[in-house]
Amino acid sequence: MVVTQITKETIGNSKVLVVGAGGIGCEVLKNLALSGFKDIEIIDLDTIDVSNLNRQFLFRKEHVGKPKAVVARESILNYNPDIQIKAYHDSITSQDYGLNFFKKFNIVLNALDNRAARNHVNRMCLAADVPLIESGTSGYSGQVELIKKGVTQCYECQPKPPQRTFPGCTIRNTPSEPVHCIVWAKHLFNQLFGEEDPDQDVSPDTEDPEAKVEGQAHSATNAGNIQRTSTRRWVQDIKYNPSQLFNKFFKEDIEYLLKMENLWKTRKPPVPLSWEQAASHEGDSVEEENNVRMQDMKVWPLSKCAKVFASTIDVLKNEVSEDKFLVWDKDDKPAMDFVTACANIRAHIFSIATKSRFEIKSIAGNIIPAIATANAMIAGLVVLHAFRVLLQEFEKCPSIYLRQKSVHSKFILAADKQITAANPKCYVCSPKPFVNVFVNTNSMTVKEFETEVLKKGLNMIAPDVVLDGRGMVVISSEEGETEINNDKKLAEIGIVEGSILKCDDFLQNYELSVAVNQYEAKEKDDPLYKIVANPDDLKAKESVNGGEKNGNEEEKQAESDQDDLMVVEESDDPQEGSSKRRKLNPIEDNDDDLCIIDS
Amino acid sequence: MAEKQLSAVEAELYDRQIRLWGIESQEKLRAANVLLINIRALGSEIAKNILLSGINSLTILDDGTVTEEEQQKNFLLNKGSVGNPIADEVLIKAQALNPLVKIKVDKQPPSSKDSSYFKNFTIIVATCIKTDLLLKIDKVCRSSNVKLIYGDVFGTFGFSVADFLDHNYHEDQIKLAGKKRTHGEKDHEKTTIKVQGVINYPELKKVLILPNTKQSADSIKKSKRRNELFYIMLALMEFRNKNNRNPAIESKEGDLKTLETIKADIFQLYEVDELKTKLPADIFELVFGEEVVPVCSVVGGVIAQEVIKAVSEKEVPVNNIFLFDPITFDGKEEAIGA
Ligand SMILES: [Zn+2]
Repeated sequence: MVVTQITKETIGNSKVLVVGAGGIGCEVLKNLALSGFKDIEIIDLDTIDVSNLNRQFLFRKEHVGKPKAVVARESILNYNPDIQIKAYHDSITSQDYGLNFFKKFNIVLNALDNRAARNHVNRMCLAADVPLIESGTSGYSGQVELIKKGVTQCYECQPKPPQRTFPGCTIRNTPSEPVHCIVWAKHLFNQLFGEEDPDQDVSPDTEDPEAKVEGQAHSATNAGNIQRTSTRRWVQDIKYNPSQLFNKFFKEDIEYLLKMENLWKTRKPPVPLSWEQAASHEGDSVEEENNVRMQDMKVWPLSKCAKVFASTIDVLKNEVSEDKFLVWDKDDKPAMDFVTACANIRAHIFSIATKSRFEIKSIAGNIIPAIATANAMIAGLVVLHAFRVLLQEFEKCPSIYLRQKSVHSKFILAADKQITAANPKCYVCSPKPFVNVFVNTNSMTVKEFETEVLKKGLNMIAPDVVLDGRGMVVISSEEGETEINNDKKLAEIGIVEGSILKCDDFLQNYELSVAVNQYEAKEKDDPLYKIVANPDDLKAKESVNGGEKNGNEEEKQAESDQDDLMVVEESDDPQEGSSKRRKLNPIEDNDDDLCIIDS
Repeated sequence: MAEKQLSAVEAELYDRQIRLWGIESQEKLRAANVLLINIRALGSEIAKNILLSGINSLTILDDGTVTEEEQQKNFLLNKGSVGNPIADEVLIKAQALNPLVKIKVDKQPPSSKDSSYFKNFTIIVATCIKTDLLLKIDKVCRSSNVKLIYGDVFGTFGFSVADFLDHNYHEDQIKLAGKKRTHGEKDHEKTTIKVQGVINYPELKKVLILPNTKQSADSIKKSKRRNELFYIMLALMEFRNKNNRNPAIESKEGDLKTLETIKADIFQLYEVDELKTKLPADIFELVFGEEVVPVCSVVGGVIAQEVIKAVSEKEVPVNNIFLFDPITFDGKEEAIGA
């Protein structure tokens, strides 16, 4: 027989964990419930938003604002009250969901929207030896993949393409694309209304190596840097006066940039713009339109941008106070309007194409389009694979790719011919995980190493680190044990070229040996650090500059994934370059929260 | 009559799909009137997806009553609905999926409808119907400029067959314009180019040719490298035509024999050498039982996406048959009769 058919008994006796109750999660839950699964647990950190309702069909308008996991459970019970279904409104990376939690399940189904959580569940399932079905969609495309320890590759076997980040001086001094202006506008929002973050400075960057002139290294630099530390106070002193703010950011700062003459030798110099010029700029005759197409789809004229700049500041300034700052949210109208206006004003100054509010929202909010049909197809395949996994037929579960139909291909769903074996050098699932890390041991602090390299770069949650050979604990997950090391440079405590660090994440049951390599950034675009899993890649990687931008600190991760800027590179999308099957990095379905920048 | 332009509420609700297929497509969807013939497990999946997409109206035509098995596989049905008309029972949950869509139900047998009934729709989606009725509806559709797609799921096997008439569409191709800017830096502005295309769909009587019909299968059998699941699809359609039901586990032995006989007839009609086919000998094992729910999820997703393409005239549709492989889980297009 070609396919053993799964029995009601096998299904009824299986315990399933669904991670994520978004677009794919809703479809998976429905398929499980209708297929006879009786014991399901669902976890999701998110709450329901109106923009989910076009596909997350277990939710309705009256559920907006409520936790997805809880409402999804109620909807399923409403269909069939006899199912045991447990809901957690929580993060799967929390310490509460350790190895014993994962070991309860016969199978785990991922329906996630960000890489960090996927990496974490991957490690938990490897450690617990529970089969995991990983899935994702992005627009018309999607993917389903089985991960089973010792049988298939794991989620982290192949390095994922880095997410796009931008050097600080491009954002602050020399923008050349709309996205640079949008990032700058979001930074400006945070400077004025958000939590202060020195990495999100918006004033001219006087340290720009390109701006330096032979012989007078720091000529006119001080003014900018002094201003930088006191932006917020100055803004409060002038009581958020819109025209003064406008002139500072769009006239004086630009005039200052023009003095950094080296920057403009090969570029078109920006044109300073005063409040008066902008407000009376031609083209203001456009009446306020009520319909969406006009409001959102049309590019606002400059005078409208100026008007919106002033009016949104008036609204937003009343929401901030001494102890309360704002977090930028693409769905908050004044916040989104502010960014649209500022990005376009700056684009105008630098002769960059201006964009509609609709387009800017996509980029600023990092929105991945999502549709019900792709989620339904992928969720169907997830549960079909789950049947085979429960029958232990792992080899019958090769990865499947959903692709947009093209005239050149007959395939809509394309399955691999066989399962893909693990990468023997994988720094997660190989027997003795090992990785090379390139850092500047003279300038990076222990704390930076922990947060940037171990947590963001290598996705650990709470690492304990011992310096091999000396048996010295340099980082501890126990509070208070190693804080004394935090501000020391790596070299100061003996972490230098050739050092081996034994990094242990108890929650993930994951031990990784990290070989330290000394590395100094040369170009301004160079990353802060590099992670190289396969030593054979060392040579190739080094020559390809920017291939590993994980460490670039310029576009740092904000508090939530939500608004982070991440541009999906075209190459991620399997629909392009139709003939070749390309692996897509499933981003999600769930646009909204997507995207952890791996930096 | 609804406003032509989207309201702010609609723009917010449909934001994530408008960002994919554009506002013009959304406006075409909101003007579309869809007829769904039979709302069983596969039909409920199709209904869900097209209701979510934001069409103007959905008419559900189904004269069936809810059975115990149907109730278990159709998430639009509630417990305790067994014995009641399906069309009535799905209404509340279907409407809850999208309150903006007008939903009508019709409990008359599809075969009792005269031609004029089918002329009032933008597109007709049919499931679980016999071939002669399908061909009759197709004839009406072709004379009235109505598009048609039919699909079914048998066990873990599923397929769809479309007649989108002479279908004009466009797709967006994204090009990176590497135009040099004056200051020497590359401007990686993406430009979107609209590419037009046209597909001339054959009428279904030239596509679905079964043994003992007057149509000649000559144009079809010439094709090389045929996806042989096409013959399995025809065999299952013919089984239902003859037996007025799907193959069933209770009568499996007899049904398998019937299916093998039909398959032999089809192979003869299409001049297929049984010894050379790559189909597994026990392929019919996979088609028994009710519609397998996750397969309905897959095929229902495919069919609904084709409906969206047909209505919005955006993106390349499947021309003209979609076959879901129950063994490999590949989903492929097969052009028949063109
Ligand atoms: Zn691995």
